[in-house]
Amino acid sequence: MALAQRRSQGVAYLFLGPWLLGAIGLTVAPMVVSLYLSFTDYDLFNEPRWVGVDNYAKLFGDDPRYLHSVGVTLRYVAWSVPLKLVLALAVALLLNSLRGKGQAFFRSAFYAPSLLGASVGLALAWRAIFDTWVDTPDHALVTIVLLSAWQFGAPMVIFLAGLQQIPRDLFDAAAVDGAGWWRRLWSITLPMLSPVLFFNLVLETIHAFQAFTQAFVVSGGRGGPADSTLFYTLYLYERGFTEFRMGYASAMAWVLLVAIALITAVLFRTSRYWVFYGDER
Amino acid sequence: MLCTVLAAAGCGSKSGGGQAEIRFIWWGNDDRAKVTNEAVKLFESRNPDIKVSTSFQNFQNYFEKLSTEIAGGNAPDVIQMDYRYLNEYAGRNVLLDLTPYVGKEIRTADWNQGFIGSGKLNGKQVAMPLAQNATTIVYDPKLFTAAGVPEPTIGWTWADYKQIAGKIQASTGGKIAGSTDFGGTEDVFETWLRQRGKALYQDGKLGYTKDDLKAFWQLSKDFRDAQATTPAELVTTLNAGAEQTPMGKKLSASEHSYDSLYGGYNTVRPDELKLGPYPSDSKEALGSYRKPSQLISASARTKNKDAAVKLIDFLLNDQEAGKILGANRGLPANLKIREAVAQNLSGANKVIFEYQKSVDAKLGDAPAAPPKGDGTIYKLMQRKHEEVVFGKKTIDQALDEFWRDAEEALK
Amino acid sequence: MKRAAIFTLCLAALALVLYPIVWLISASLTPVEDLVANLRSLFPGRVTTDGYAGALEGVGGESFWTFLANSTIVASGAVIGNVVSCSLAAYAFARLRFRLSGPLFAFALVTIMLPAHVTLIPQYVVFQRLEMIDTFVPLILPKLLATDAFFVFLMVQFMRGIPYELDEAAKIDGCGPIRNYRYVVLPLSRPAMVTTAIFTFIWTWNDFFSQLIYLSSTENYTIPMGLRLFIDQTSSSSYGPMFAMSVLSLVPIGLFFLAFQRFLVAGVATTGLKG
Repeated sequence: MALAQRRSQGVAYLFLGPWLLGAIGLTVAPMVVSLYLSFTDYDLFNEPRWVGVDNYAKLFGDDPRYLHSVGVTLRYVAWSVPLKLVLALAVALLLNSLRGKGQAFFRSAFYAPSLLGASVGLALAWRAIFDTWVDTPDHALVTIVLLSAWQFGAPMVIFLAGLQQIPRDLFDAAAVDGAGWWRRLWSITLPMLSPVLFFNLVLETIHAFQAFTQAFVVSGGRGGPADSTLFYTLYLYERGFTEFRMGYASAMAWVLLVAIALITAVLFRTSRYWVFYGDER
Repeated sequence: MLCTVLAAAGCGSKSGGGQAEIRFIWWGNDDRAKVTNEAVKLFESRNPDIKVSTSFQNFQNYFEKLSTEIAGGNAPDVIQMDYRYLNEYAGRNVLLDLTPYVGKEIRTADWNQGFIGSGKLNGKQVAMPLAQNATTIVYDPKLFTAAGVPEPTIGWTWADYKQIAGKIQASTGGKIAGSTDFGGTEDVFETWLRQRGKALYQDGKLGYTKDDLKAFWQLSKDFRDAQATTPAELVTTLNAGAEQTPMGKKLSASEHSYDSLYGGYNTVRPDELKLGPYPSDSKEALGSYRKPSQLISASARTKNKDAAVKLIDFLLNDQEAGKILGANRGLPANLKIREAVAQNLSGANKVIFEYQKSVDAKLGDAPAAPPKGDGTIYKLMQRKHEEVVFGKKTIDQALDEFWRDAEEALK
Repeated sequence: MKRAAIFTLCLAALALVLYPIVWLISASLTPVEDLVANLRSLFPGRVTTDGYAGALEGVGGESFWTFLANSTIVASGAVIGNVVSCSLAAYAFARLRFRLSGPLFAFALVTIMLPAHVTLIPQYVVFQRLEMIDTFVPLILPKLLATDAFFVFLMVQFMRGIPYELDEAAKIDGCGPIRNYRYVVLPLSRPAMVTTAIFTFIWTWNDFFSQLIYLSSTENYTIPMGLRLFIDQTSSSSYGPMFAMSVLSLVPIGLFFLAFQRFLVAGVATTGLKG
């Protein structure tokens, strides 16, 4: 028994092998280095100099732009994630009710914006379409939220796959019971879809906190006008790569990492109350 | 490890080795890549023992890549440098001191001696200027004529400019602004300061007072109040290519810029625009100077110093290379080559050369390269000015914040 | 009747969603002078294919086809790497019991949250020491080592949905974990693997940052890098070829998606998964 168990442990690590190697060599080691750097003054060119918690102290005590960038990012996450998920779910529901030939076509077509992703051409198109919005502090963030929500393709595809796994007989039974569309959505679709919804929510939240490319391209790389699109990662980039304060940037990255981890942990906590896994009966 | 072995083996099999390999990188567009690669090929054919690998990026990505490479211990041997970044890199001992080579391996006999100094920091020649440019006003002569106002000439003042721009704006029914708002652009501020006998930096500190900047921002505000400049939402498009500026979009009749950028304007608006001198309230000083549009440096850690220096000299001083490179980076630094290039000019280059000729007597020598932190201050000025323009802050509030952050950036 | 209504609704939504793409295509056919003067007009007065000619000619002495080939190599390598390595890791997390399973999975999740800029320099140093700069290795190797923990997460979520009774049945039939993975779980996970393949392909295709850092010579440049070479704020940008190349660069991913999405449908249908 003990032997068999040890062997199954060994097999598990065999499967994990490539991942473990990558995790240690390309993730853990660089992470440790960056954690160390966050306690130093490092300009990329000379040896890092130990400064203790100075970087962290400055972040929260003496850097109004940093706190401003936190605010911008939180606002972005709070708007873009729900908007994107609602859009993705709505379109997925729409397509799911469109059984047959059209569905595949529409799914591909609605996915097209996500294909465009970080194309420069598209960012310029976006700038042109929202011409005056992009350049006023009160609306610039809105255009980036819209740009993000517009790329709802990935969660939409995942929602659709989830919807197609819900057994039809559940709906048929509900229809027999006289449940209307909303009632079925609320009592069958959403609960059955909750694992997928949770998956999408977690990922989109994490991605939104790290949003970089869109803001970088749309705002011309500087988070303007008047800092209205100064995303956390944009500020991190500016500190690290244009001011060569890599120690400070590393500290910012670690704060971001901890913040995202906390928020994800909270999401996982709450998931107990609203996510239903088929197997855990 | 394996690769080194292979590379060594490869060398051994080839004519007994001794071939130096160097890497040269620059920023720019496709046109620049074409002529630069052609010049590099010529260099290789002249120096069969040196192999040059080249690559280029656009300006925005260039320094990000460069700094990662240097931090990773993989610096290119020959590096195109920007005036504004010179101190950031040189101050961290990344660039080779070229002083021992100047006047010898790097020939300077045919140079304007004052211009060589623009690549010097604390007595060390950390870079050589590649080409020269100067601040200018790009303008649309048709709009000037239509409004019945004179085109820019040496001697016109800021008050003239405001009045002229106002008239143009009125004559288009407000559709096209008379000028592009200049209040957030450090280059304009520098030119304006120099007209008043001051400089952006003095011994690594700000070379002006709060009142100077306040007066400058007030001037920009006067233009706005007089309906002579672009609206707020156009202020933010300034650090883009020519095609994205108000001038490129036909939304402004005149715009501060560098003459070397004229090529970009000319692509977007072919043969429509002219270059004129800055307005100045001083009879003597125009404020513009012989600025190195780009510089060229060698890495301090290059293993092939001689080859790197040879390439630098070739790009700067070889007549044939000069012919190939033309005025792509601005006016060539070597005066003999500049003359040769001037012989058969056409299109945008002709406009640029003629402009420089017209202001040459008034151009000053370049000041010492800006200190570390200037890149931050450059953006800071733009940002604080935006906050003023959008009515988020008063000039005084913005000024206080600017001052605090600028001093911090220079520490 | 109802179907027609839904269909119309879909079409209307589609028109809205595709507007920017139509704009991009239209821009790629517009002469540069017209484009700049009025960036907002959708239908050009004059049409030109100069942009496409310029795009195919390439930039920096390399043709579009070189960029295309490089992008294809990188993206294909990444797809194979991710599908294989992530499914292996996911199988261990989802179906096997082992010590440290919980903490290691939590750690995998944490790595998704890591901003790329932070590990950039240390990672660069690793590859620099291995003398792999300016090769495709730094772009493909991480995928072979499943550093995209996102896909591990995706597959774990999926594999957990496969009834555990199947494992028991396989065990009774004498299947060890390896054969169970190969013959039971893997075939049933096809939809998740197709999803992984599609996303990996697209993200790698669009990725710019790591390619910028690791590739140095123009002959190794990929499409996104070639695209950015058309834009330089200090000289002049070539909008025509840039827009044209944007459009051209989309064609392969569009085709890839169209080809594989059938598998996606088929996969979901044939596995007959239950929620």
